[in-house]
Parts: sequence; structure tokens; C-alpha cells
Amino acid sequence: MFDLIIRSMTQRKMRTGLTIFGIALGIFAVVVMGGMSEHMNLVVDKSLDLMADNIRIEPDGTFGGIGTLDESKVIQVKRVPGVSDAFGVLVTALDPEGGGGGFSTDMVFGVLPEKQLKDAKLTSGRYLMPGDGYKVVIGSSIARKFNLKVGDELELKSKRLQRTSSIINTRNVSVVGILEYTGSMFDSAVQMPLDSAQKFYKMENTVSFIYAKPATGADQSDLAKRIELSIDNVKSTSPEQLRKDIEGQLVIFSLITISAAVLAAVIGGLSVMNTMLMSVSERTKEFGLLKALGAERKTILLMTMGEAALMGVIGGITGIAAGSIIAYFLNKSFEAQGSALFAITPRLVIIGLLFATILGIVCGTYPAYRATKMSPMEALRYE
Amino acid sequence: MSNNGDNGNRVGECEPVLRIRNLRKTYMQGKIPVHALDDVSFDVKKGEFLSIVGPSGSGKSTLLSMIGLLDRPTEGSVFIDDVEITRAKESEAPRIRREKIGFVFQHFNLLSTLNAMENVDIAMRFTGVSKNRRKERAFELLTRVGLGDRVKHKPSELSGGQQQRVSIARALANNPAIILADEPTGAVDTKTREVIVELLKGLSEKGQTIIVVTHDMAVAEKTDRIITMRDGMIVSDMRGAGCEP
Repeated sequence: MFDLIIRSMTQRKMRTGLTIFGIALGIFAVVVMGGMSEHMNLVVDKSLDLMADNIRIEPDGTFGGIGTLDESKVIQVKRVPGVSDAFGVLVTALDPEGGGGGFSTDMVFGVLPEKQLKDAKLTSGRYLMPGDGYKVVIGSSIARKFNLKVGDELELKSKRLQRTSSIINTRNVSVVGILEYTGSMFDSAVQMPLDSAQKFYKMENTVSFIYAKPATGADQSDLAKRIELSIDNVKSTSPEQLRKDIEGQLVIFSLITISAAVLAAVIGGLSVMNTMLMSVSERTKEFGLLKALGAERKTILLMTMGEAALMGVIGGITGIAAGSIIAYFLNKSFEAQGSALFAITPRLVIIGLLFATILGIVCGTYPAYRATKMSPMEALRYE
Repeated sequence: MSNNGDNGNRVGECEPVLRIRNLRKTYMQGKIPVHALDDVSFDVKKGEFLSIVGPSGSGKSTLLSMIGLLDRPTEGSVFIDDVEITRAKESEAPRIRREKIGFVFQHFNLLSTLNAMENVDIAMRFTGVSKNRRKERAFELLTRVGLGDRVKHKPSELSGGQQQRVSIARALANNPAIILADEPTGAVDTKTREVIVELLKGLSEKGQTIIVVTHDMAVAEKTDRIITMRDGMIVSDMRGAGCEP
């Protein structure tokens, strides 16, 4: 049976090739777009994992951006029953001229040395220590992007608006530690002592977020609500809620990207249907003959759908391979700038292949049905 | 699989292998009924070489497609080996076709992408015969029709007569009870016609039942029996020497 399918496909090489190309193009789009979405998901997932169980407190009314909170609120948060510890973090863009916040840009985190992120391991150097002053621990992407080693200097810039002009201050800080690759936003982060950051950015007594550590056994959601009620003008988000919020935004992003890709793949699928319909009508006589020779309807169905499915599989593999190669090279080129853009996960590969196969089968069903309905009598009269 | 006996003698050949009783086929042409077959009845005995002749539209091809289960009659019955095939369900038709009938067509209907051997082999694929056995049988049949040295040739590399011989080998592949040949010499020259008719005659002499539909009286005259049809009815049934009714 398989040899007959192969023969039929190779008999019309150009048409088969074009159909496979159509599917491959669609799956290529699925893989590349999906890869982008997967990468975003992974970064957010790992970032949230690294932030552990902390409740995030930010100024009320900030949507997505970064606001400012008075550092005195840290004490207030600490006093809320159920909070075991709280600390402030100052977040600002590494390059103030290169655009604002978000996960993808390089950021500076002003943190208390004793509260810094230690779940991420170091590839070299050490973590921050109290009294470090203008010393920093950098993420792996920053190290690659600026080609930094422990002991090297990194230039920080701050920008202040004064009337119509802006004043740019610069200062060199020395790298004392480099984090290993985490796949999270911390890869693009520069961590420095909070007091030095506040001083350099002229944001004394100010933090961007406060992280509250719940006491053992405290319900995170309840505690988040309690913090919000106890302190004026703040919004607090439990890790669970934060995950939900971000995942909600990511679903929309994924939906938009994947829908565009699926549309491309469906168009590829229609080309399979078109090809198979043409093929079935050209092979009227052949199917009639096979029926006259005693072929069952299921045999004809299997032959036609098998051909469509095989085109789907080959198109799928080609699309996945092309998508992976392109993603690999784009990642390589983006890596030089410190960040990857695509993650071709096993899940994405399986989805791509399954999608291509199912697409082939679904689009081959109607032509196959037509082939089986063919009367051998009519087919054999057909010249 | 029915074995009609390729044993070289005519033992049991006087038993009817095919019985046709009161066969009718009516098509509707708009609102007007057209009787393609009108109360056709006859028997065909095992090993008989029979021709059905008649002008175009006389119903001979329709009759052939009823016997081959390619079409269903409006009324009447067709029995092959005492089994009423006209009562068979649609799902049983493929099995009956592959076990009881071998088809030979005017335009050969060989698959252009397959070589001679594969064209014979394909008829046996649906019967569950092993690949090696199919290969052996295909080679044996092609040798029998004189194409033992052409097994790897594709239809485009064979002459019309050779293609028809491949098609006869294919029809014989499953040892069918009856071979139905629809204008088997219609697309070949006179010289090749003789070869094809002699081949069919030789097979019938070895016990194979063969029914040929033809326009060509030169072909019909070589057969044991000639049934002439007109307007869907049998107008004459002439037997040569051989079995008596």
C-alpha cells in the first residue's frame, strides 16, 4: 500500500512538491511564532519561579509600567500581621535612552545585598555583600552583551529631566559576580545595592516594588488583600495572582501569534485538498480499476488519505526543520546582543507535527470520500 | 478464491458456472424509462468460451457489468457457482469481484506507473496473498501469456497486444470463475487480434470460462457460442460443437 502512495506522489513531483512546500510554510510559521510564544512563556515561568512566594506590592494605578513607592512603606508592610519579612526593590532601565521597562529590556535592580536573589547560581565571582557600594552582580545576557568578566567595569547612565533638557549622569560600577543562565528576566538584570542605586538615580527613599514574604502557614491571597487594606495607595499581588495576570496577558499574545500561524497552515492545508481533489479526478480510472479488481472502499480511502497525511507529515517535518534552523540562527544573532527570542520546545515540535498530519488527513478526507464513491462502471468508461 | 482448474482437461466443464435469470435493467432518461436489459436469461457452463455480440446500445456491455457486479439490475438474478451475487450486499461486492471475476478491458486499463509484473501483482494485493507468492504467480502468468521476458516493462514500453496480454494475466491472477472481456480486441490490429483470441481460446480449453463482448464477428466466430443481443434482449443463442444444453 505504502509503495502505491509513494508512486502516486512521485508521479506528480512538481505538484506534490508545491503542496508540501505550502504545508511546510504554514508549519514554519507555526514553529517560529510558537517558538516566540514559548520563549516568552519560559522566561515568565522561570522569572516567577525565581521570585518564589513573595507578594508584590506596587503603587496603585500602575498598569504594566514601573511606579514609585516611598521606602517607609516597607516598614508598614512588615507590620502587617502574617508578613514575616519585606524589602524594597528599585527597578530602572539600564539604558535610560533606550526605552522603558518590560521584561525584554536590560534592567538595573537596586536590592538589599542580604535579600538578593540567590536561587540563581553564579558562574564566577560572588554575590553582593553589605557595604558593596558601586559593585554589581550581572546576568548572563548582560555579561555576553557587554563582554564583561568579574573585575570589569560597566557604565551606568541616569537621566533626569530638567525643564526642557535632560541631564545624563554616568558612572562606572565594577562587576563582582556573574549569574549563570536562568532563562528568566534576571539574565538581563544588573543587581546593585539598593542604597547605591537610590543615590545614583537620585531616587533616595524610593523603591519601585516591595516584596513581602508571608509567614509560614499564611494564606498568600488573604495576606495580599490585607496588605492592600492596611496601606494606602498600594496594589498588592499574590504570586498566584501575579502568575495568573501574566499568563492571561501571555495567552492573548500566544493567541495572536499562533492564530496568524495557524491561518498560514490552514491555507497550506487547503492546497493539500486542492491537490488531492485534482489527483482523485485524474485517477478516476485508476480507482475504478482498483474497485473492479476487488479493492475495498477502505483500501481506496487509506490510499488517498495516506497520501494526504504523508504530504502533511513531510511538510510538517520540513516546516519544523526550517523553523528550527531559522530560530537557531536568529537566536545566535540575538545572543550577541544578549537575549534569545525563540524557544523550539519538544512540545512545539510535537504540536507542529501533529497539526501538519491532522491537517493533511482532514484536508484529504473529502477527496478520499469522493474517490471511494466512484462507481467502477463509470470510472472505467471514463477516457 | 475459486479455482476453476488450470489442469488442462475439461472435467466438470458442463456444469453451469453462471446462471442468469430474467435480468432487467431500466434507466430513466428524464421521465422516459429505457430498458437496457429486458428479461435476459441464459446459462454458461464451466470452460465455455462465449461471445455476446450486437449493435451499440443493444445492452451487451450492461449485461457484462451486471455479471461483474459493477452495476445492479433492476430485476432478476445472477448466480455464479450457485451463489446469487445480485443479492450480495455492497460491502460484499469487492470480495466477490476479486474471487469470482477477472476483467479484461478494451483499453487494457493498466496502471501506467507500474510495470507488467506489478500490474498483475496488484490484482492479488487485495486477497491477502503473500508478497513472494504474488511475485511467483505474476511471473508464472506473464510467462504463460508469452511475456516472461517483459516483466519489468512499463505499459508505455509495451505494444497494444502485449498490454492486453498483461491485462489477461492480471484477470487470471486470482483464479476467477469467469473472465469478462469487454471488446478485448477493440484497440489492437488484426494480427494482434488473432494472438489475443488464440490466447483466450487456449485458456478456455484449459477450463477457464470466458465471456467476450465484441462487435467483431471474426472474434465471435472463434468462440464456442454466440449470443446476439438487440434492444436489451437476446435474439439468438448459437452453439458450436461442445456441451449441449
